[in-house]
Amino acid sequence: MKAIYKKELRSYFTSFLGYLFVAFLLIFVSIFQYLYNLRGEYANFALAVNGTATFFLLLVPMLTMRILAEEKRQRTDQLIFTAPVSVTRIVLGKYLALVTVFGIACLFVCFYPLILHNYGATNYAVAYTTILAFFLLGCTYMAIGMFISALTESQVFAAVVTFIVILFTLMIDMLVAMLPTGHLLALGVLIGLALIISVITYVMMKSKIVTGAFAVISVGGLIIAYLINEQWFDGSLAKVFGWLSVQSRFSLFRFGIVDISSYVYYLSMIFLFVFLTVQAIKKRRWEA
Amino acid sequence: MIKVENLVKQYGDFRAVDDLSFTVEKGEILGFLGPNGAGKSTTMNMITGYNSATEGNVTINGFNIYDEPEKAKRCIGYLPEIPPVYPDMRVREYLSFCTELKEIPKKDRAAEVERVMELLHVKHMQNKLIKHLSKGYRQRVGLAQALVGNPEVLILDEPTVGLDPMQITWMRGLIRSLGKEHTIILSSHILFEVNAVCDRVLIINHGKKLVIDTPENIIRTLGGTSGVRLVVRAEEEDFRMAVGSLPNISRCEKLSEDVGEGLTAYAVYSSDGAEIRDRLFALCAARGFCLFELGAIQKTLEDVFIAMTGEEGSTI
Repeated sequence: MKAIYKKELRSYFTSFLGYLFVAFLLIFVSIFQYLYNLRGEYANFALAVNGTATFFLLLVPMLTMRILAEEKRQRTDQLIFTAPVSVTRIVLGKYLALVTVFGIACLFVCFYPLILHNYGATNYAVAYTTILAFFLLGCTYMAIGMFISALTESQVFAAVVTFIVILFTLMIDMLVAMLPTGHLLALGVLIGLALIISVITYVMMKSKIVTGAFAVISVGGLIIAYLINEQWFDGSLAKVFGWLSVQSRFSLFRFGIVDISSYVYYLSMIFLFVFLTVQAIKKRRWEA
Repeated sequence: MIKVENLVKQYGDFRAVDDLSFTVEKGEILGFLGPNGAGKSTTMNMITGYNSATEGNVTINGFNIYDEPEKAKRCIGYLPEIPPVYPDMRVREYLSFCTELKEIPKKDRAAEVERVMELLHVKHMQNKLIKHLSKGYRQRVGLAQALVGNPEVLILDEPTVGLDPMQITWMRGLIRSLGKEHTIILSSHILFEVNAVCDRVLIINHGKKLVIDTPENIIRTLGGTSGVRLVVRAEEEDFRMAVGSLPNISRCEKLSEDVGEGLTAYAVYSSDGAEIRDRLFALCAARGFCLFELGAIQKTLEDVFIAMTGEEGSTI
C-alpha cells in the first residue's frame, strides 16, 4: 500500500499534474475570495469556498482520470495485481494519494481566511467548518472519479464521464424541483429506476436469476406499496434524488449550519465508492 | 513447484482454456508452446493470479493462488507479454518501486536493485527514463522486475519477442542458468527456442493440452519415419537404382540445396524407421560412389507441431 501511495504521489509531482491541480484550485479560491470578500465586501469566507466547489467539475477529472485507466492501458496492472498486495490495499494506496494532493491544496486554502483578518471581523468557525466540508466533498468526488477510472482504459472517457456525473450532482436539485409531484408518476419513475438498476446489475453480474429476482421484488414491492397506501409516495422522488445530491449538502455550511449528518454522508459515499472500485477491479479479473 | 489442475477459462460461449492440468517440478524449465491465440497468455495470467479461473486450481509451492493469493504471489516473478513498466519512471526508480511493492525488507532493497540490474546488464541505463529505452532494454527491465526478491517460480511470457539475435542468445543463456535454481514456465511460439532451453515441453492448441513430454521424446514418439541426408558424387540414375535395390527404403528425394560442383544431396527414408546409414555407407563403398556427407535428418518440434495440429502457417 505504501509503495503504491508513494509512487502515485511522486508521479503527480513529477508530471506537473499535481502542481497544476493545486495551482488551479488556489487560483479559483483566490478569484472567488476577491469577488465575494474583497470586492463584494462579504465577511463570510465560506462563500469563496462555495463558489470554488463548482469547479470540481474540472479539477477532479484532472486528477482522477488516469489513476486506474492508465495502469490498464500500459499493462502495468499486470505488475501490481500479481504483486503480493491485495486489491483493497492497492486501491486504498491510490485513493490516499489523491486525497493527499487535494489535502495539500486545502491546507493552503486554510490560510486564506486569515487574509480577511486585515479587513475586520471574520467568522473563523464558519470558514473552517466549510473548508472541512469542502475537503470531504472533494474526497467524495475523487472516490467517484477513481471508480469511473477503474471502469475503462481510456483517460479521456474517464474524464468525460466524471465530468458528466459531477455536473449531474450539481444540477440534481434543480431537476428535482422541476419534477411533478403526482403519486402515480412517482411510482412510474421509481419503477423505471428499479429497472435501470436491474439492467446495470445484469451488465455487471451477467446473472439472469439475480437480476430477474431483483427486478420482480423491487417492482412488485413498489406496486404493492402503492396499492396499500398511496400517501407513502408523497415527496418520494425528492427524497430518493436527495440521496444523490452530493453538492446541496455542502451549500448549507456557508450559512454556518454545521450538519454532522452531512460529514457522515460524505464519509459513507467515500467508503461506498472505494468499495465499488475494489469490486469493479475484482470483477474485471473474472471477465478478462 | 507449480501444480495446475483442470484449469478452465470461459468467455461467454468461448473456452479459451479447456481443462488444462500439469505440474512443473522444482528446478525444471517447462516450455509452453502453442500458436497465437492458443490460450498461453490466458493460462499464465491465471497461474499468476492476475485473472481468475472459471474452474480449476493453481497451486504454487503448496499455496493456492485463489485461497492464499498473497503467499502464493510472493513465490512468483512474472514477465507478461508486454513488459509492465512505467514509461515515465527511471530504471532504478522503477526497480526500487518493485522491491517496495514486493515487500522486500527495507534494508535489503538497495542491494536487491543492484543485484537485478547487474544480472540483466541494465546498470548503465539506471538513470534513463524507461520510455527512452529500446525494446530490448525494456524487456530486460521487465525481466529484472520479475527477478526482484529472487522468487522461486518464474513465469515468462514470450521473453525473447522483439529482441535482436544477439540479445536472444544472451537471454536464452540467462534463462537456462536461472533454471538451475528456479521453477520456470516459458511460453513461446518459436519451436526452436523451447527445444534449446526447456527440460519439458507442453503443447496446447485451442486451450487444450496436446502433449507434455521432453523435446526428445516428443520428436521420437511422434516424429514418424526418420530420414538420412547424404551428399555423394554419382550419376543420379545410378544412385537411385542402387538405393532402390536396398530393402526397406520408402523413398529417395533429391534435395535442391547447392552442395558443390558435381555433388548432389539426397534424402533417403526407411519404411520402418530402422537404421539405414550403415547400409547406405556399404552401398556407396561397393558401387564406388564417393560419399562426402552422411547424417540423420533431425525431426524438429516444428514438424511435430504441424503434424499434431494440422495448422501449418499458424505456427511461426
